Amino acid sequence: MKALSSGRSEARTSLLRFFRSTEMTLLVVGAAGFAILVAGSHGSLLHGDAVRGILSYLTVPILIGLAQLVVLAVGQMNLSVGPLGGFLAVLIAALMADHGVPVLLAVVIALTLGTLIGAANGLLVVTTRINGFIVTLATMTILGGLQYRVVGTRTIDPGSGILKTFGTMSLLNVPVIFLIALAAAGLLAFFLRRVVTGRRLLASGGNPLAARLSGISNDRAIVVAHALSGLIIGVAAVLTVASAPGVNKSIGGDWLLPSFAAPIIGGAALTGGSVSVLGAVLAAFVIRLVDVARAQYSLDPSWVNFTVGAVVLGTVVITRIRETRQAKATRRRVDLGRTGITGDSSTAGSAS
Amino acid sequence: MTDIGSDPILLADGLVKDFPGVRALNGATLRMSPGSVHALLGENGAGKSTLIKILTGLYQPDAGNLVVGGQPITLHSANDAAAAGIAVVHQERNLVPEFSVAENITLNRIPVRGVLVDRAEMRARARRCLDLLDLDLDLDAPVNRLSVAQAQLVEIARALSSENRVLLLDEPTSALTLQESDRLFELVRRLRDQGTAILLVSHKLEEVFAVCDTVTVLRDGVSVLEAAPLAEHSRDEVVTLMVGRSHQAASFEPHVVERDGPAALELDKVSTASGHRDISLDVRRGEIVGLYGLVGAGRTELAKALLGLDRVVSGEVRVHGQRARVRDVREALNRYRIGYVPENRKEEGLFLDQPLTMNIAVTVWNRIQRAFGYVPRARERKLVQEYTESLGIRASGPDQHAGLLSGGNQQKVSLAKWLAAKTEILIIDEPTVGIDVRAKSAFHQLIWQLAADGLAILLITSDLPEMVTLAERIVVMRDFQIAGSVPNDHDYERTSTAVIRLIHGSGSSNRKPYER
Repeated sequence: MKALSSGRSEARTSLLRFFRSTEMTLLVVGAAGFAILVAGSHGSLLHGDAVRGILSYLTVPILIGLAQLVVLAVGQMNLSVGPLGGFLAVLIAALMADHGVPVLLAVVIALTLGTLIGAANGLLVVTTRINGFIVTLATMTILGGLQYRVVGTRTIDPGSGILKTFGTMSLLNVPVIFLIALAAAGLLAFFLRRVVTGRRLLASGGNPLAARLSGISNDRAIVVAHALSGLIIGVAAVLTVASAPGVNKSIGGDWLLPSFAAPIIGGAALTGGSVSVLGAVLAAFVIRLVDVARAQYSLDPSWVNFTVGAVVLGTVVITRIRETRQAKATRRRVDLGRTGITGDSSTAGSAS
Repeated sequence: MTDIGSDPILLADGLVKDFPGVRALNGATLRMSPGSVHALLGENGAGKSTLIKILTGLYQPDAGNLVVGGQPITLHSANDAAAAGIAVVHQERNLVPEFSVAENITLNRIPVRGVLVDRAEMRARARRCLDLLDLDLDLDAPVNRLSVAQAQLVEIARALSSENRVLLLDEPTSALTLQESDRLFELVRRLRDQGTAILLVSHKLEEVFAVCDTVTVLRDGVSVLEAAPLAEHSRDEVVTLMVGRSHQAASFEPHVVERDGPAALELDKVSTASGHRDISLDVRRGEIVGLYGLVGAGRTELAKALLGLDRVVSGEVRVHGQRARVRDVREALNRYRIGYVPENRKEEGLFLDQPLTMNIAVTVWNRIQRAFGYVPRARERKLVQEYTESLGIRASGPDQHAGLLSGGNQQKVSLAKWLAAKTEILIIDEPTVGIDVRAKSAFHQLIWQLAADGLAILLITSDLPEMVTLAERIVVMRDFQIAGSVPNDHDYERTSTAVIRLIHGSGSSNRKPYER
């Protein structure tokens, strides 16, 4: 009995699957959108400055998308991404500008604190058994207060230190901070696909009951996911301080929608277990194009939120339709497959 | 068919119902007369539940007719059944726990005045229903404050709340004490005398013979005894009819059970937090021990206690002779090598939206990981290859999602992860529910082979032929206790009759907490 098809046809199936995937759709939409914008700008969008600008402003959307994605993987949500990022950003700036803390130490503090606050979110969820939505709604408000407490109404300019130089550095017109975001995405994808802890997150998100019966701790998965989310937000905060001219109480205020938009448009299931890092990165790029278009054609800023919101809603609806259709097709295929099974059940038995 | 007595109030004729791979009803007939109590008997899986669900509009039959009060009728929903005057008390609770007693009783016909709920009328109606049962319950108490028995009575009261011609009672006394049961049957007789037709589904033959006038016995989806006067049949005759001679138990080459030394798994007077009392049993290497019982007898709960998901409050669990204190599933798996194939493969056994690699390798990531927890892709795929081949799992490749497989293949995947983890004690819970006949026999062969390979297997199944095919000994559980044990000589009639007798042993149920 041939249980698995040959390697070649398998490669063809996975190629076929990619062409039908959300990632492929986003790639096409992104490339087409970018080409149209380039044509509309008579090529000026391809100049070094313009490319650097686009990629530089893509850094934070990618990171906050990843921070949301990792909690979506276990079927959780993190509403506190914005205020956490804002709080950490003003904290770094204040430590350096007001207290003369060295850059490296400030960065380490921010990353550690981000991880700890994320872990605290997770611990609150598993110890109180209160829905993560409510818990992070509360911590969102608390962190917003802390951010204001640190920065008040001022705008802190951490000056022209190493961090600033770093923030404006680029390799062949690609900003280094953007490369860091890409590296974070690559690491996260690898973590979820090939590292035991990451696999456990996906298993727990995919089916907590089956995960528990397989010896996986769902509580640990939730805490780890929130802690990672906090760490990634810490990275986003550091890069914000590095690239922004100054930080104030408004940093992080507009992160919530994009943090959900990128993973959801990228194909993540809100129920957990199914996320796509590549999809989220591509989706962040597509969303960024909406902003570029606004700048290029001097559109009203309100159109950006309108468009992004509409795209999120549209994606969710389309995904739902596709899932329903897929489920129907599967049922048909399984019915067909059943006749196949009865055909060689004797072989199946003796093979054991 | 011969006409006996008055015209039937309810006639179900030649009902056929197919589920994927299984024919649950194959021409079943039920004839109920007004003013009589009718028993519906049959083994697990004989088609009783399916028949009840058709009579209450939850399922639509694939063939056959339904006639209520002389009128042919089609029931599309529970509302249709209620409109036709058919009321039901299901085996499972169907109450809204946070709602009050009065609200629950009137839930399907909430009295209104304009757009508002008429609370006075609601309470009055509820009170009338409770009075019928001689029940003195607080109308405003939320149902989740009641005991199981009280909740059961509320459910029965609700079925009485409308003017019904037909009342279906599915295992109504499973949570009641003897006194409460007696009161219920007193009421049943009163309703009968007023002309209601009552159907009683029960596994307790004493109460069936005490209360019922006529009986229908279902076996394999067919009525083997149809609307017969109960007085003309003895208990033994009825049991024989339920069991039948039709099953030919498949036979396998006997394999060696290791009799020397300590058992692989041994329970010594184990009591658990969820209510098991003094459970003792043992399973040896190479042995398949069956755990039989009705739904709710505590079999799955016992399995979960062995996995550390429930607390053992007294007694001792021994694994290979050593006392085992299992705190969580991880410990059960890694330290004691106990695996559990759950009864609901889709809900508890599989990651449906994940590839086979995750579904099979999930229990062995610990073992195959390299530095920093890195799991080599090739290693996972090799593992999948190994088990898809040895178990004959038909899949397009290791990346196929488990949700896309057929039931039989899904069950094999659900089993594969425990084989991959090299478990020595395997608890298999209802392995072939919803699997077609051919895949089922292949799966039986597989389980047999695993025992022959030296695994100790505790098999939980409600499918008696399956039990007789596979188990060396059948331990029968009732109300979270061991009712007895039957050695299996692979003579279907003799063994299953002994098992059914144990199940139907008399005695009242002990109370269990409402929320378990």
